[in-house]
Amino acid sequence: MKDYSLYDVTDFVMDEDFIRWVKENKKTDNDFWHSWLSRNEDKYLEVAEARRILEFIGTKKNVLSQDEKMHEVEKLMHSIQNLEQKPEGRSTSVFTLYKKWWMAAAMAILIGGSLTYFVGGKKKEKEQFAYDAMTQPKRLIENINTSDKVITIKLPDESTVELAADSRISYGNNFGSSGTRDVYLSGEAFFKVTKNPSRPFRVFANEIVTKVLGTSFIVRSFEKDSVIQVTVRTGKVSVYSQATTNAQETSSPGLHGGIILTPNQKLFYEKSKQKFQKGLLDNPLAIYPGENYRGNMMFEEMSVVKVFDILGRDYGINIVYDNDLLVPCTVTADLRNESFYRKIELICRAIGARYEIIDGQVVIQANGCD
Amino acid sequence: MVDNDLLKRLQQNDEVALGMLMKLHYDDIYNYAISFTKDSGLVKDSIQEIFISLWQRRETAGHILSLKYYLLRAIKNKILKSLQRNKGKQEWDQVKEGYDFFHEFSVEQMIIEKQISDEKAARLRRTISLLTNRQAEIIFLKYYQHLDVSQIAGLMDISRQSVYNLLHEAILRLRSLWQAEFQTR
Repeated sequence: MKDYSLYDVTDFVMDEDFIRWVKENKKTDNDFWHSWLSRNEDKYLEVAEARRILEFIGTKKNVLSQDEKMHEVEKLMHSIQNLEQKPEGRSTSVFTLYKKWWMAAAMAILIGGSLTYFVGGKKKEKEQFAYDAMTQPKRLIENINTSDKVITIKLPDESTVELAADSRISYGNNFGSSGTRDVYLSGEAFFKVTKNPSRPFRVFANEIVTKVLGTSFIVRSFEKDSVIQVTVRTGKVSVYSQATTNAQETSSPGLHGGIILTPNQKLFYEKSKQKFQKGLLDNPLAIYPGENYRGNMMFEEMSVVKVFDILGRDYGINIVYDNDLLVPCTVTADLRNESFYRKIELICRAIGARYEIIDGQVVIQANGCD
Repeated sequence: MVDNDLLKRLQQNDEVALGMLMKLHYDDIYNYAISFTKDSGLVKDSIQEIFISLWQRRETAGHILSLKYYLLRAIKNKILKSLQRNKGKQEWDQVKEGYDFFHEFSVEQMIIEKQISDEKAARLRRTISLLTNRQAEIIFLKYYQHLDVSQIAGLMDISRQSVYNLLHEAILRLRSLWQAEFQTR
């Protein structure tokens, strides 16, 4: 038991129990100190001074805003998703088990649609970029999944590929040393790419090339389909057609019609028209992982502009509106359990506005508020 | 404790747990780190890096007894090393001793509660800025971060006894400055 009667001002200031009394002001501490002081009246001044000193030691809050902190958390999530995946124990084959848990961080390239054949020059082009035509002239290492389960392959740069049933993937034996990391795909695969900005990772799937700017993604590409669809959940990829890359021998896609995709956007490539078109996913997901990051969806008399900014940030989707018109508008809504489109719809209804999806963005058409 | 549960989830490759740990400790780490440098970009990058290394060593994260202490120590080393790189080739030992610590203690609470004048508040601010670097750091670690003596000893690379001595010195100084301020009025 401490003998406080021997304490001086400095001792009090350093004493944990004393600090707790001053800082937290709990009833049990209050009772203790008041009764102690009534028995040790000569200590009254010292205790008072110690209290003043402790009260004085406030500290300036040098903190980031909530938004900035969320941004930092999001950045961390991206970084660790790009880190090499540690193998869960050594497996004797190249294939390890399918790990569902990182499906969440996925970008998908889907090829769907009906069977259409082309004639003339178009057909030549199509053949030129078919899997066999692309891979045969090169010395490649090929993996074929003849099973009916997904298998996992590790590439020389530690990137992993989950190869779906009935799919094939090839890569050069100089994969680990050439300037770009190129893989050729027929079928469907989920890629988790190790980050290396100086050596772009490219997936050649029929007429299109998907270039990874640092993320993980799924590619699905079966030879005979007419529409190619690329979908992004998190991260960023650029997509361009092979015809344009071959025509201009440069690897920067932005210069010749390459398209950058951000989370929750999807891209159609119509083979017959050689045209890209951007849209949004049917059910966009918040890009913050886990429920804890989706918590702040209850709004009370909140500025609509602010609500759109929060939504846009959470889903990584650009929301376009006329700032001057919407500044006076506020909403009160609980949007915690609603889907993205439902949220947009409810807000629009509240302020008498409409929305459209144009070029992968949400465009709000409002008349303003009184 | 929350930290321990989250560390357990971290060991099971739970990325969300890492994000929550960052959110939970961000203010404390940022506040400590920004006292060594005014470069908020450097601080943010360094915080990213220490959480990435925490993720990379997540399998052994269960051995971390006090995550807060671990994070504060990691950020201090990281920041001081970057500052050392910028300054040229100083010995690491020298860097560990001779860094600046510009934490601003606030007297705002005081102003509100005791209704002291602006003039007095300004003098109080000056007063506390007269603490030495080490004194300011130890006050910060004890009264803001609520670390115990052995954690402070570890962070400041001094013995437990030195922690008591330094703390004592700092409080005496505060006390004398304080008295000088209030008796001259």
